[in-house]
Amino acid sequence: MNALHEQFVTEARDLIRRATDQLIALERYGASDEAASYVLRALHTLKGSAGIVELPAMSITLHAAEDLVAGLREGTLVADSDIIDAVMACLDQVSHWVDEFEAAGVLPFQAGEDGRAMAERLRSFLTNAAADPVAPASREPAGSAGELPSWIARLIAAISSMPEPPGHATAILYEPAVGCFYNGDDPLQLMRQVPGLAACHIEAREPFAALSEIDPYACNMRFQALSIAEREDISRIFRLVPDQVRLIGIPRQALPAANAAQPSLALVRNVLEAQREMLNVPGRKADLLGCIGSAVRAAANALRYGAPPELAEAVLRGGALATAQQTPAPLLEALEQALTALAAVPSTLSDTRLGQPQARATNEVERAADRVLRVGAAKVDALVNLAGELVVAKNALARSARRVEQELGGTEISRAVERDREAIERLVTELHGAVLQLRMIEAAQLFRSFPRLIRDVARQLDKKVALVTRGETTEFDKSIMDRLFEPMVHLLRNALDHGIENPEQRHAAGKPETATISIAASRAGDRLLIEVADDGRGIDPAAIRKRASENRLLAPDELDALTDEQAIDLVFSAGFSTAPALSDISGRGIGMDAVRSGIEQMGGRVALESWKGIGTTVRLDLPTTVSMSRIMLVETGGQLFGISMDAVSETVRVTPDRISRVKKNYGVILRERVVPIVSLAERMKLPERARDQAAPRLLVIVESAGKIVAFEVDAIRDRLDVVLKPMQGLLEGVRGFAGTTLLGNGQVLLVLDAKELLQ
Amino acid sequence: MTVHRTEAGVIILEGVCPVEDAEPLLQMLQRTPKAALDWTQCERMHTAVLQVILASGIAPIGRCGDTWVAQWVAPGLHKAAGD
Repeated sequence: MNALHEQFVTEARDLIRRATDQLIALERYGASDEAASYVLRALHTLKGSAGIVELPAMSITLHAAEDLVAGLREGTLVADSDIIDAVMACLDQVSHWVDEFEAAGVLPFQAGEDGRAMAERLRSFLTNAAADPVAPASREPAGSAGELPSWIARLIAAISSMPEPPGHATAILYEPAVGCFYNGDDPLQLMRQVPGLAACHIEAREPFAALSEIDPYACNMRFQALSIAEREDISRIFRLVPDQVRLIGIPRQALPAANAAQPSLALVRNVLEAQREMLNVPGRKADLLGCIGSAVRAAANALRYGAPPELAEAVLRGGALATAQQTPAPLLEALEQALTALAAVPSTLSDTRLGQPQARATNEVERAADRVLRVGAAKVDALVNLAGELVVAKNALARSARRVEQELGGTEISRAVERDREAIERLVTELHGAVLQLRMIEAAQLFRSFPRLIRDVARQLDKKVALVTRGETTEFDKSIMDRLFEPMVHLLRNALDHGIENPEQRHAAGKPETATISIAASRAGDRLLIEVADDGRGIDPAAIRKRASENRLLAPDELDALTDEQAIDLVFSAGFSTAPALSDISGRGIGMDAVRSGIEQMGGRVALESWKGIGTTVRLDLPTTVSMSRIMLVETGGQLFGISMDAVSETVRVTPDRISRVKKNYGVILRERVVPIVSLAERMKLPERARDQAAPRLLVIVESAGKIVAFEVDAIRDRLDVVLKPMQGLLEGVRGFAGTTLLGNGQVLLVLDAKELLQ
Repeated sequence: MTVHRTEAGVIILEGVCPVEDAEPLLQMLQRTPKAALDWTQCERMHTAVLQVILASGIAPIGRCGDTWVAQWVAPGLHKAAGD
């Protein structure tokens, strides 16, 4: 991806986001000239950029959206939800393409067709508006042959003159651009590649001028064709000229019924010959495998439908070989043999019809989240990591400096080392702080997708909701935002689904019909506070108790002992759901406990307050940066422990003969040092596992404050970056641990304090 | 040159006829619109070349060496020219 493409991706995402915001404003406050003009400008710029990076599919789609929004601005259309939905769907599609373009550098094969379909959907609003002068887009044929354009009917007639018509077909209308020859296009070459061609008609788009006045380099041709190949394979051929081609699915009933009484193999032979032709086109390297694939499919389909089954099998085998060897030769050979065999086949056909529906391969590119700052976030992360390592190196320098001080104390060199160490320490600390500051982003970035989310979900639930955000300029680390997004979505969905009443209920309760959800961000020292509040029905502690007892979350006497606040807190328990029926929006009973564990994993806390009939407020208290530590996960006595990687100097596996006994203690010689061996299980007062005395022992060498010990463990599981939480509550006074962390599976992991372990 | 004219006045397309052949072919046909056109030796033609043939309204001689054109274009062409 070159700089131009990168810039396009960044700019496109920004434009899509802004257009979406303004669309929501349009819907909520009516079509103000300003909002509509804004959307229009954004769409126009986007269309222009798409043209520059040569994504015609995107251009034609956006062009249609632009027409629609222009209608809104001029007042010929009303900004109702359906129209806003349609334009948003268009932006979603474009956004999806931008993701694909970023990932693959090209749009998916079906983009041209999808874009055209989307454009037609958008244009249908224009044609429905009676006052609008824009000519209706030609409609796709839907039902009977009577509705088919005459050129398609003509092509079908051409097939039905063959004894055996196909079961399904796609009509192709290809009108190459006038200047296409100058772009190096050869339309005929594209047509040659169309798989499963069953009929073809070539004509002049405008009647040819007299021979003396013809410009031989202005393309004035129109190609009309019918193919029985998969539509996807056809659109792949035309992927670079989606604006010049239309694919129209021919409904099965529009095709003449098969005449089983007069079976013939002419069509099958035609299809096979066409594939052979296509494969023989020279100079095809880039899409050779795609060609082989579509040729195999078209040929095998045709053979299945009108020939002995073993011929289709042979073609499939030939295709597999061709794909493996990356040359069409084996497939060509198979086609040749099939053609020869067909000549000898008795004219009885199987009943198998052509065109089994094939699952359309959705090359679903994982939807890349918006990860671009001004600089790619990965580069910033790399910088943050380097700064972190610099801090570690700085600590090592401090140790060396101390040694210099011990051995050469009072000398000039020792003072110089100390002076430089101090300077470096100060600079490194400042650098680390400044680099972390790079990742600071404003809360507005977190909030920006919520208006759309709330709008869509509220519409789905037939509720009226307004969103209020405060504290958009509050800064926090991007890694917090990345981890905060999902819990926030859960919270908002919960508020919309469970908290907010529908307009009738709100009316009956004497509340305004439009509910309010507010999100506020603020800083308190080095903590980030986020508050999500709704003015919905609130949580009823009695209902929570009832549900908890039904779900057997707690015993009846335990439930009775809870205060109302404690009862409300039960919504964070795993497997709790207050919605009477599961819904699409939330209420799978995984929402709130996922929120709590998500927040706690990054060292935060969640608190919930609710007043019945008045509303609910969820408060998130988070660090503004995530401080990570790297730990080694070890297993001993059947339990997992973490050891800070900073303290681990190495891990070794030694055979028992290398272990020597000194009085009651064991030791091993490593790098000319006697290192005492301590069983971690014994140290943690855990039962030791019975083991084979001859088996090698696994030792983790821990070094801290000048001491060294080899801890014997049963296994080393993993190395992890974790956020360490200090020991809290009951564990507060327990010694020997640096803190706890949550593992991915929700298990609490105790992280050992190396310094105390060595005491 | 993949397009040339014999002494007998027959225009011959030979081998792979690229886009550049459209102009000389057009010039030949402009000078002699009723000339016979032999495309049996043409292995593959560019759209621009085909366009000139279509625009001229003539029916070339024999089976087109470009098999795709022979299969999908020529039948219509002969019919149109014969009408």
